[in-house]
Amino acid sequence: MSLKEAVSQYVEDGDLVGIGGLSFWRKPISAIREIIRQGKKNLGIVTFVGGLDVDLLAGANCINRVRASFVGMELFGLAPRYREAVESGKLKVIEETEASIALGLKAVYLRLPFMPLKGIIDTDILKVRDDIKEFVDPLKNERLVAVPPIKPDVAIIHVPYADEKGNGNIAGAVWIDDDLSKVAKKVIITCEKIVETEDIIRLPGKGQIPMQKVDAVVRVPFGAHPTSCYPFYTFDPIHIKNYMKINYDEYFNTFIKPENIGDYLEKVGGIKSILNIIT
Amino acid sequence: MDYSIDELITVLMAREVTNTDVMIVGVATPCVWSAFTLAKVTHAPNAIFHYIMGNTFVYEARRVSLLWLENTAISRCHRIHNSGECTLELLPHDTLTTIEFFRPAQIDQYGNTNNTCIGSWDNPKVRLPGAAGIPDFSGFYSRGQSLYVTRHDRRTFVPSEKLFFRSGVGYVNGQMPVAGGAGPKFIITDLAYLDFDEKTKKMRIKTRHPGVSIEEIQEKTGFELIVPNKVPETKPPTDHELKMLREKVDPLAIRRLEVLTGKERDEHLQYVIENEIKMEKRVMERI
Repeated sequence: MSLKEAVSQYVEDGDLVGIGGLSFWRKPISAIREIIRQGKKNLGIVTFVGGLDVDLLAGANCINRVRASFVGMELFGLAPRYREAVESGKLKVIEETEASIALGLKAVYLRLPFMPLKGIIDTDILKVRDDIKEFVDPLKNERLVAVPPIKPDVAIIHVPYADEKGNGNIAGAVWIDDDLSKVAKKVIITCEKIVETEDIIRLPGKGQIPMQKVDAVVRVPFGAHPTSCYPFYTFDPIHIKNYMKINYDEYFNTFIKPENIGDYLEKVGGIKSILNIIT
Repeated sequence: MDYSIDELITVLMAREVTNTDVMIVGVATPCVWSAFTLAKVTHAPNAIFHYIMGNTFVYEARRVSLLWLENTAISRCHRIHNSGECTLELLPHDTLTTIEFFRPAQIDQYGNTNNTCIGSWDNPKVRLPGAAGIPDFSGFYSRGQSLYVTRHDRRTFVPSEKLFFRSGVGYVNGQMPVAGGAGPKFIITDLAYLDFDEKTKKMRIKTRHPGVSIEEIQEKTGFELIVPNKVPETKPPTDHELKMLREKVDPLAIRRLEVLTGKERDEHLQYVIENEIKMEKRVMERI
């Protein structure tokens, strides 16, 4: 299945889309570009930590709500299009923390109506989330907070290795991507390399993304660019630095329009850019 | 030896680490990573790194890097977890002592912090990145919360009513955190080392940095600080600390990106990127 087919078949307008990775590390950016090209609308995003993924989608007006513990461009600055969209009221933020997302996903596969949480007691997050409530622990009579389940309609995760059955191996940090794939109704994985199942089981961590949950596997070499995909390449600092300054329409025309990954990689600087980032 | 503000802040943070700590290296905080690495190669050889960037625990110290961070955080790790395991099971642990430094955009006299928005939440003037994992961890730490601020001014140090959003919990109304941890312990800034009064839980000046007066610190703080009878001068970085930091831990001064602003910052970022791209060896050297 091509990336175009996978996105058109499994991502619908209005969906809550779970995105793997963290800020600009192992984000499924080729799939994000495809979502933008297809002009998807009113999507919600749930991601552990958002960065370039959320910012691109905010710039393209594809999203109207974001659930993330943090959205930023790390040492490169605040996320410019995300900021603009939130400050102008176009994009609604559903305040989360790392634990409220991690537990919200767990609540789905534990089939629980909520998960108890202690850390966010006394934060203002409770004031801006009607669906989070404080309650009294029935066993110890202490203050606790109930956070709701988070069930994405579709999860999109980029991994270094996958097999054709949909077993995905994440060589580096997993963050919450394993749980994301377990609870989403549909799962698309993009990968750097498609290998035999026998090879997946020899990799550290084996298949953290389980085949029984995966609907589409699409091979996209450098599919996370300009974010990183360990162990193959790091993020592209020159591209990201440029992204912070460039006008969005120019960025769209130059870097999002090209459908073919080869054409895209030529635009970002070709072989020299690749040599900069490979490990 | 002369030293810069980023060096002073980094050295002061390093001195807080003990030999039995798990040191949490967060996202985009090269001052903190430099401080932990400096501690590891000076006085805390058994401290362990925990990288959010890998969900990993790593024993050895390597040179700080912007681009090749994953090669340190992942390829040299002893085990990979997922974030749920790290956040919820391992870090607020009963027997591990954990140290993590948070940098708030706003902080009040009780150590409550805001990293969510400037202006009202509904209609923000500036949307900031968000709470991240700060509330998930900070209230639990048995040795308390550690904070740092690279620019001590009235925009950051605000009275409680001007804290736009409480995204990190300190001593709310002077009370201990509900989660059971020890609460905010200290704040290292470019002007002073501040801590909290044991009884009232209000912020107090503990030491002032060389050349900084108590008046200046108070002037740049948006609420009244407790000033004890004796406020000694902060012990400046030693030659050994500076030498290790400059030559071994962070020779490209990546930490400076947390202190610089505007054009200067942009140029320094470019300098770091160019130098790291040029490196033949992309696993940083062991210190």
